[in-house]
Amino acid sequence: MSKIFPPSANKLPLQIIIYLGVLVGLATAGVTYYMTPKYTRVGYAPVQPVPFSHAKHVGEVGLDCRYCHSNVDQSAHSNVPTSQTCMNCHNQIKLTSPLLAPVRESYETGKSVPWVWIHQTPDYAFFNHAIHVNRGVSCVECHGKVNEMDTVTHLQPLSMAFCIECHRDPAARLRDPKDVFNLNSQTLAAQGKAEQAAKFVHDWKVKPPQSCSGCHR
Amino acid sequence: MKRKFEHPAPSAREQTGPKYWRSLDDLAATPGFKAQLAREFPEGAAQLDGVDRRHFMKIMAASFALGGVGLAGCRRPEANILPFGKSVEGIIPGLPQYYATAMPLRKSAIPLLAETHQGRPTKVEGNPSYAPHGGASSLLAQASVLDLYDPDRATAHTKGGAVLNAAAVNDLLAGISQRFAATGGTGLAFLAEESASPTRARVVKLLRRKFPKAVWAEYEPVTDEPPLAAAQACFGVNVKPLYRFAKAKRILSLDANFLSADSGSLYYAREFAKGRRVTKKDDPMNRLYVVESGLTLTGSMADHRLRLASSHLLAFTAALGGKLLSTEVLKPLTEGLDVNQKWVDECAADLAAHRGECLVVAGNHLPAAVHGIVYAINAFLGNVGQTVDFVGVEPSSAASISDLATALKGGAVKTLVILGGNPAYNAPADLDWAALQKSVAEVIRLGYFADETSILAGTHLSAAHYLESWGDARTADGTIVPVQPMIMPLFGGLTEIEVLARLAGEPTADPYALVFTTITAIAGGEPEKAMRRFLHDGVLAGSAYATNAVAFDQRGARALLREIPKLAALSLKNLEVRFIADHKMDDGRFANNGWLQECPDPITKISWDNAIMVSPKLGKELGIDPKGALLQVARKEENEFSIGKENARVFELAVGGRKIRGPVHIQPGLSNYTVVVPLGYGRTATGHVGKGAGFSAYPLRTSAAMHVATGATLTDTGTRLLLANVQEHWSMEGRDLVREANLDEFKENPAYVSGIGMESHTPSTIGEVGKKMTLAQRSAQIPRGGSLYDNPSLDGHHQWGMSIDLNTCIGCNACVVACQAENNIPIVGKEQVMRGREMHWIRLDRYYSSGTADAGAFGGEGNRELPEDPQVSLQPIACMQCELAPCEIVCPVNATVHDEEGINVMAYNRCIGTRYCANNCPYKVRRFNFFDYNERSLDSLYLGQLGPSGMPELVKMVKNPEVSVRMRGVMEKCTYCIQRIQNGKIQHKVKVAQAGSPGDVVVPDGTIKTACQQVCPVEAIVFGNILDEKSAVSQAKARAHDYSLLGYLNIRPRTTYLGKLRNPNPQMPDYAALPLSRAEYNQKNHPAGHGEHGGARAHEPAPAHGGEPAKKEGHK
Repeated sequence: MSKIFPPSANKLPLQIIIYLGVLVGLATAGVTYYMTPKYTRVGYAPVQPVPFSHAKHVGEVGLDCRYCHSNVDQSAHSNVPTSQTCMNCHNQIKLTSPLLAPVRESYETGKSVPWVWIHQTPDYAFFNHAIHVNRGVSCVECHGKVNEMDTVTHLQPLSMAFCIECHRDPAARLRDPKDVFNLNSQTLAAQGKAEQAAKFVHDWKVKPPQSCSGCHR
Repeated sequence: MKRKFEHPAPSAREQTGPKYWRSLDDLAATPGFKAQLAREFPEGAAQLDGVDRRHFMKIMAASFALGGVGLAGCRRPEANILPFGKSVEGIIPGLPQYYATAMPLRKSAIPLLAETHQGRPTKVEGNPSYAPHGGASSLLAQASVLDLYDPDRATAHTKGGAVLNAAAVNDLLAGISQRFAATGGTGLAFLAEESASPTRARVVKLLRRKFPKAVWAEYEPVTDEPPLAAAQACFGVNVKPLYRFAKAKRILSLDANFLSADSGSLYYAREFAKGRRVTKKDDPMNRLYVVESGLTLTGSMADHRLRLASSHLLAFTAALGGKLLSTEVLKPLTEGLDVNQKWVDECAADLAAHRGECLVVAGNHLPAAVHGIVYAINAFLGNVGQTVDFVGVEPSSAASISDLATALKGGAVKTLVILGGNPAYNAPADLDWAALQKSVAEVIRLGYFADETSILAGTHLSAAHYLESWGDARTADGTIVPVQPMIMPLFGGLTEIEVLARLAGEPTADPYALVFTTITAIAGGEPEKAMRRFLHDGVLAGSAYATNAVAFDQRGARALLREIPKLAALSLKNLEVRFIADHKMDDGRFANNGWLQECPDPITKISWDNAIMVSPKLGKELGIDPKGALLQVARKEENEFSIGKENARVFELAVGGRKIRGPVHIQPGLSNYTVVVPLGYGRTATGHVGKGAGFSAYPLRTSAAMHVATGATLTDTGTRLLLANVQEHWSMEGRDLVREANLDEFKENPAYVSGIGMESHTPSTIGEVGKKMTLAQRSAQIPRGGSLYDNPSLDGHHQWGMSIDLNTCIGCNACVVACQAENNIPIVGKEQVMRGREMHWIRLDRYYSSGTADAGAFGGEGNRELPEDPQVSLQPIACMQCELAPCEIVCPVNATVHDEEGINVMAYNRCIGTRYCANNCPYKVRRFNFFDYNERSLDSLYLGQLGPSGMPELVKMVKNPEVSVRMRGVMEKCTYCIQRIQNGKIQHKVKVAQAGSPGDVVVPDGTIKTACQQVCPVEAIVFGNILDEKSAVSQAKARAHDYSLLGYLNIRPRTTYLGKLRNPNPQMPDYAALPLSRAEYNQKNHPAGHGEHGGARAHEPAPAHGGEPAKKEGHK
């Protein structure tokens, strides 16, 4: 009886095992990278109905974050301004700009401008803006230097790992409460004031929750 | 050193004898019941049926394939943020707003604060500005929010099936107004509900001035206020009693369910609890005598309870009155009364010994003669002005529904306007309302649902919910409260006052303007300011009914006693039927409310149905008899009862030729020949929820016998009906759960609870070190006791805990629905409840004890008699937040873990649904979403993916945005309202940070309230930070009668209970030296009579007990 398989077939099982191993490894690496928030979220910069530039309004004009996001220090949500807020200035300047047409229309009809939601946490994660900005966590930590962005871009993964990292070591991320809305400021730690940061944590009794109940209800 | 447990060897009795029994089957220990106890989940609860495995695989394969093709899950869908075009003053997205409003019901109202999220009311709480309720609210008020978003509510005005727009409705009403203006209203008739709204009264006055010849009738099928005629006869003025229970040391209730069925129940319950609460051994405690035919919540709180037919209550009252007033006048009325004379004499003596601080209350349904005698007794005992005040009220000038029926019969009415109510469903049967209504040429109905009455009416106008309406109302004590809209009418509904104003041809029919005119006229002062204040506070200060200094007029009272029918002895052939307003459905108006339908009745524990309740004795005479060696209730065959399904026999109940059919439920505690029938079920035209639930008892009810009818008979129809009865669910196998003592024992040994239960036999679970620690230290450091394992400490700024006072809990179930509203808990439907899948996070366990249940006789020879007169013990159970939680150690995915502040938290998004945690929970408080109850309709659950999916938009609006809506396959449970805790802490930290003292992070006591605590009318639930020794919860837990449920398990629950006390009178013939549950406990655990281990091997040395009454058995 002649041989069905050539001698080279003896290596086949080993080849298959190695091949499968590499494949599984690649797949795992691919999934862990491409399907995590680091990949799926970071860099998200959708086109907005009005090409609002934070760089112009904050960086150049010098508006405070809270002029538009007026309830950020009171509420869980950082509110997106109403069209009326936009019209506070734009009934004086750029009256006829076609780019502002949706805002003017919204102001007249009362219908909302459909801004695209960028920094969106899952429904089961209950993030609260007020507690962070009132206790030394700056906007920059999660949103990046919005004052330099023409188009707002998702900079941080905002995943649970991202949150927990800071909750485990708040001293590294705290700013002087005066600097929270100053997007060009540095954290106390970055300024080399580690001692001051530790004192902040101690005096303010900063103890970010690390258990589920902090964010999930 | 290894700890040595010294469990006494279980005796044969111990193994077979439950101490408490929650149902007759529990007592009977049928094999079916035992088999159920042995299972983790009731049978069927863990099975998928309707879909076989092959079918399931097919469906799943298809859905996987679809999922693979679509790959839709890789990127999140684009979402929008939609800010307002124009800013709205006061609205901060993400923060709820609270407005004062009120829920009117008949002639009273419950002042409320409504929580709205971006203009959408999601929850109501009691308005704390109204002091008598202290911020509490009721079961019905809690559930009323759901009605607002009921997809089955009437959504359009219709005439002959065609939709009318708002302008057409206005034309229609204006047309009627003009048509009848010329004739002064001849041929026009109105039928409305009772109301105490000042604005409605004013508009009705205008209307009647314009149409003097029109008939204005009012009708309410149930009554929650005493008859005005009695007070008018006795005092010569129009007054109604307002009871001051807090001042009463001795209370006698004559068939009066003042804790849950009176217009002033919330206030009464709260005041009653004040007199009931005992915090230390010298505190006084009231004593409650109850004479009643049914078993009500008030009866369940009684220290002495006498079962007596409602139709015999006049005789009883007369006997008591004769004794107290030392008069022979009442003697003829007592003829035929069959009660233990000593009961009457001693009760009278006890009342007489507490002049000016006792109180006799008669049920609102009782005839005026009873009220007359009761007024005489209260006046004689000097209670008027002390424990009862009489306040002046406006007598009704409305015609009755019978008068209206007579007018309709005569054909004189051309146009009938029916405002609210539902006469086609609930009018007295002898009026034959449906036929009468059809005989009228034009019928206009203002109704919230297109119900039985609307179907028969030519024109239906959809009414606005009270949360969509401008209006006003009065509480039971007369305080004027605003009804303020939280949202624009969702479907253009109209308010009653608007319709009336249009009919009256008023120049303005705007309800706000109408209320404004009324209120500012009453309040005086600057109108805008007065109105603003009124709406802000939610009460009009000083507007309560004025107290009237009444003088009792004997002659007038005697007039009430004329023409009293002779007392008839009751028997199987001459039964008494007592119609009661259902605890949840009321008169039927809440029939389409799923939260209320699913909430079990507090006593019968039946949900989704009503039943004909009969006493065990009557049950036996009817042939519903235990057969064989085992007790069987409402069924003959063994094992026919399985898991929450009560296979009840359907009987026909007949009175005077009228008949209804309904399932019979044997209810211990009933008067022997009284049949209790709850009204409000059996709706034929209502939404999906209410249809098919229960049977209607209205066809039996005639205008001559609205509350009590005699001469009834019951006949077996031979058919059966399955009832969803949750009383068999989640049993804890009869351990020493509710710990009770009489007040006398408590005074000698306030720590009596530590002498009961396994803990009294075992070394302390917290060890010697733990015992020396304070409560606060123990909660944070968690002493290891004798354990090898060193418990991790908890380092949060707070440690949360709860204390529940069993002594004041009246079992009203308001906490159950408040929790449901707060925590987005779905309803599951009757079919699922019958499988034990109800989702309530807090439940009330109701235990019966008879004191005669001999453990050795369970299931054996001997105790075959069904106890007829048990004591009732109630116990609210929710997750106890055990410090050493057994659920956490079995979770394979860490979905349930402890947080820093001692809460056993659930991460729903992590849960994979193994249900190990529920299996390991000794309290059975974890609930599993067997289906996607939120997303799928309850009648298509078993269709799986093939069934329709998605929540109606309207239903989405009621969800609390602060809490996840859980999906299928996820375990859930009480979290001490974690959303309230987190938001409370955040708001406090923000406040102190902005105020410049950021280090004060500890939330002040009382700022954060759980939903169940906030609603509780008797303040039985106290929640707070146990690190703070001054907090209310720490103080409650420091009381001597604080105990842990199943404390010997060493799981250290954060919720602890304060023992229940009873205050019986040693002179009474039914005096028991020990609460009956304790007698049973001793019979089982200490049959030889060597006493409880109060001090023997236990760690807590109990003081010696001297002077114990002789009657006790096997005690110390």
